[in-house]
Order: sequence, then C-alpha cells, then structure tokens
Amino acid sequence: MTSALRFLGSASAFWFVLPCLLVLAFTSVYPVGFGLAVSFTNWNWGNQFELVGWANYANLLADAEFWSVIKNTVVFAAWATAIETALGFYLAVQVDKLAIRTDLIRAVIMLPLMVSGIVVALMSKVMFDPFLGIINHLIGAFGLGPSAFYGAADTAMASIVAVDVWWQTAFVFIIMLAGLRSLPAEPVEAARVEGASEFTIFWSIKLPMLRSLLITVIIIRAIDTLKVFDIVFGTTGGGPALATEVVQTFVYRTAYSYQQIGKAMATMILFSILILVISLTLQALQRRGERDA
Amino acid sequence: MTARTTLHFHGGPGTGLSKAWAYVFTGAMVLFSLFPVYWVLTVSLKTRRDGLASPPLWIFDPTTANYLKLWGHETFKYTFLNSVIITAIGVALSLAIAIPTAYAIVRMKIRGRNLVGVWLILAYMLPEFLFVIPMFSLYQWTGLYDTHVGLALMYQVHVLPLSIWLLSSFFREINPAIDEAARIEGASNWQILTRIYVPCTLPGMAATAVLNAIWIWNELAIALGLTFSRAQTVTLGVTSFRGYAALDWGAMTAASIVAIVPMLLFAVAAQKHIVKGLSLGAVKG
Repeated sequence: MTSALRFLGSASAFWFVLPCLLVLAFTSVYPVGFGLAVSFTNWNWGNQFELVGWANYANLLADAEFWSVIKNTVVFAAWATAIETALGFYLAVQVDKLAIRTDLIRAVIMLPLMVSGIVVALMSKVMFDPFLGIINHLIGAFGLGPSAFYGAADTAMASIVAVDVWWQTAFVFIIMLAGLRSLPAEPVEAARVEGASEFTIFWSIKLPMLRSLLITVIIIRAIDTLKVFDIVFGTTGGGPALATEVVQTFVYRTAYSYQQIGKAMATMILFSILILVISLTLQALQRRGERDA
Repeated sequence: MTARTTLHFHGGPGTGLSKAWAYVFTGAMVLFSLFPVYWVLTVSLKTRRDGLASPPLWIFDPTTANYLKLWGHETFKYTFLNSVIITAIGVALSLAIAIPTAYAIVRMKIRGRNLVGVWLILAYMLPEFLFVIPMFSLYQWTGLYDTHVGLALMYQVHVLPLSIWLLSSFFREINPAIDEAARIEGASNWQILTRIYVPCTLPGMAATAVLNAIWIWNELAIALGLTFSRAQTVTLGVTSFRGYAALDWGAMTAASIVAIVPMLLFAVAAQKHIVKGLSLGAVKG
C-alpha cells in the first residue's frame, strides 16, 4: 500500500483516482488476464478445463475460416472508413461554405448517429428487402437492379458497408466541420487577396492544418469499424455462407453456440493485437506528419 | 479575376457556382440522412397489407395498430424500462468516478499518469467480446449476471475513458490561479473540485452525460453477453423482432421507432452538447 501511495504521488490524489482504478481493474484487467489464460485451455464453460498450450493459436492460424473472417473484417473496415472519411469531410467543406445558419442542417445530418446499430440493421432489412423493399423500387426507376442485397454473396458486404456509411458518416462530418471552423482566418484571407483559387486555398492552407485531426478521425473510425458487430449480427448474421462473417460475430458464435471458449479467446487476443498494430501504425503516420510540419 | 475577387469580399468564400453546388450537395445529404428514418416511420404506420404492398405505397391510411400492439407487448415494455434504469445508473456511475479522476489528472501530482492514460486508451479501443466472454462466468458466480447494476458496471469500461478525456479538457480551461487562491483560503482539493470546478463546467458535464447516455442506450454486444431476461435492454428487445423481418414489418418497425425516439429527442435538445463532446473526444482520443 505504501509503495502504491508513493507511486501515485500523494495520499489525496490516490483517493481521487482509486475508484476509477478499481472499476477499470475489474472491468478490463481481470477479463483480459483471465481471457488470456483461457486462450491456452480447451474450456467449454463447464468441466472441461485443460491446458492445451499454443494449440488454439496454432489451429486458428492454420484455419482457412479464420483468415477469411479476418479478411472480411479488414475489407469492411477499409471500405467503410475510406468512404465515411471522404464523404464526411467533403460534406463538412460544403456546409462550411453555406451562408446560412447551419444548426438545423447539422442536427438532421447527425440524426443517424443517435440510432443504435441493431435498429439501423433492422431498418436496412426492411429497405433492402429484395422483393418489397423501397431501395430496389427506387433504383429500378433508374433502370438498375433488382439486387438481392443481403441475400447474395457478391452484394452482401457492399450492402453492409453502405449501411455503416449511412450510420457513421456524420461523425466525420461533425468533427471536420468543427475543425474547419476553428481554423485561423488570416492565412486564408491573405491567400484570397493574393488571388489564390478556392481549391488552392483548401489544398495548401486548410488541409495541412487539418491533417492531424483528419488522421485522428481515421484512427477512431478504423478502430470502430474493425470492431463491427451490431449491423452484421442484425442483418446477415455473417452469411450468406461466410461472405460477411466478421471477427466479433465469429467469436460470438464460437463462444456461445459452439462453447469453444479457448478458441474464442485466442481469436480475441490475436484480433486485439491486430487492432493495436493498425492504430499504432496510423498514429506513427500522424507523428511523422507533425514533425515534418 | 477582378469580378471573382469582389465576389469573395462580398459573398464570403467560393464562386456562385461552387456555392450553388454546396447547397445542392448539402440538401442531398440531408435527404440521405432523413429518408430511411422517414420511410421506416411510414412502414410502422401502415397496416400489414399496405406495408407489404408492391410497389411500395407512398400514400396510405395511417394506423396506430402496430404501436398499440407493441404497448401490449409486456417483454418489450420491460426492456425499455430496463434501458432507462441501466442508462441512469451507468451515467451516474461514470460521472461520479470520472469527475475526481479527471481533476486529479489535471491538477494534482500523479506519478503513474501516463500509465493511466495508456490504460484508458486500451480499455476504450479493445473489442467488446475480449471483456464480455471472460466476465460471463465471473458474473454468474458473483450474482451480477443479468442485473441492472452488473451491466451498468461493465459499461464503464467504455464510458469511463471517454468521460475522463472530456472532463479533463473542460477542467483544463479553468485558470489554475483560482485553485491557489482557494487553497490560501484553506479549501481542500475536494472543496475546490465540488465548489469551483463542477459548477464552472456544468455544460461540459452535460455534454459528457449525454454522450454516455447515447452510447449506453444503443449498446448491444455487452448486453447480449451479460443479460438473459431480467435486465435485458431495449436493443435486445428490438433484436427479438429480427425474426419477424419476412412476416411482420409493422411490429419490427414500430419497435425500432420507439427504441430511437428517446435518443432523437436528446439530439434535438442537446445538439450543442453532443457536438462539443464529439469534437473534444476526437481531439483527445
């Protein structure tokens, strides 16, 4: 206890932080520690609890299903993050040009963010219905479709990406709009007096100043989309076949339908390492940019 | 060129054409954001026959039958009430824990500050089932499984890091000279926090509470793993209509609308807070 006190600086600060440390220890350190231990066993929620060494990890890495699940997750995250970032940022630039009050516009555009993932999923099931859904009806007016959407392997993933784009683009929009509005006015005004085009002003003045914020937004969206669960669980459940199975739906099935807890936790550990590597890489990119600037 | 420069000075940035496009594009995105919610609302107000009509009906006789049926659906009503309770407990818990922690991080000497920071980021970014699956057995042994408090407690793994980042940045805006003045008057850290910092950052507290409430209300994976019946949340209540997709759109869409109405009202009432919280969250995260 004394060493803990010294570690935290002063007795008073220790009491201020203690509840937080206790709750975080209970909700994160314990499960990660216990989960790591379980990943080296063949536990089935019941009496079967034997050490199997690295077997769960070795089996996963040799399993084609595991790799296709990882591939689906990364493909989903890459497309969703790229489209949401591009669309949200572009929208922020456009809204920033408007000469009217934009509070109401912003409120309407961020409406999808307030909707839970499972409701988004069910809403999309009604709209994407191959026979009676409004979307096939609307694209039919342009001579497109009809599409099976969730029902076919080659359109299911694109449909889920589209749903996530509807759901989360506003997140990028709100933050980039706040970023655009917080930029200092002088450099932009000066460039305008010099006769620089709007495109040049955006590309060589605003964008460099927003680079760090943009990468932060990309990191947040990348982590969030890699962890996708609700909208896959609520729509395809991973199908057809394995076309849209992502890591978290795969783990849910492994743990709760097949009772293979060791395998499920080994998957989670490997996946957590992947998330860490991806976010650290993006963060290194951000730091390098700040150093260069 | 001269004409364009003049335009800049009088009409703000952008040429007339680029401005017109900005209005058109924004309008299209407003429609894109609004249409699915509008459409699902209309489906929920249709009779079963109208709802499944082909081609889809734009004009119809609205009916409240689906909502009345939902009102009689005891399980769904129960999950809605559970979510209200769990959200209240979860938000109260997160603020009670995050306020002193954020103050200590910003204004007191903590040697392990960087370690705590990394820990918060990890807790926030790691996937739900990494925590939920190991907790499943512990929760059953300790009796926390399928309880309101148990679920609200587990939600702290996500809302605590966010709350601490947000509150720290609000606290940093307060001039530390005020602390010194109060300390000379004999005030303790606790008094400085509760009498100066908390009252001065009430809008920030509201922003934090609103974001936490939205996250908790909408969460699915953790609730799926740690509840069974008594503490099932509204997201699970909605999930139970998933199987109706091919048969009864009315019940499914009505349940969806009821589940999102509280958050939509929130969005209207607290838009500024939400925007403030989200933007700060990104800068800190």
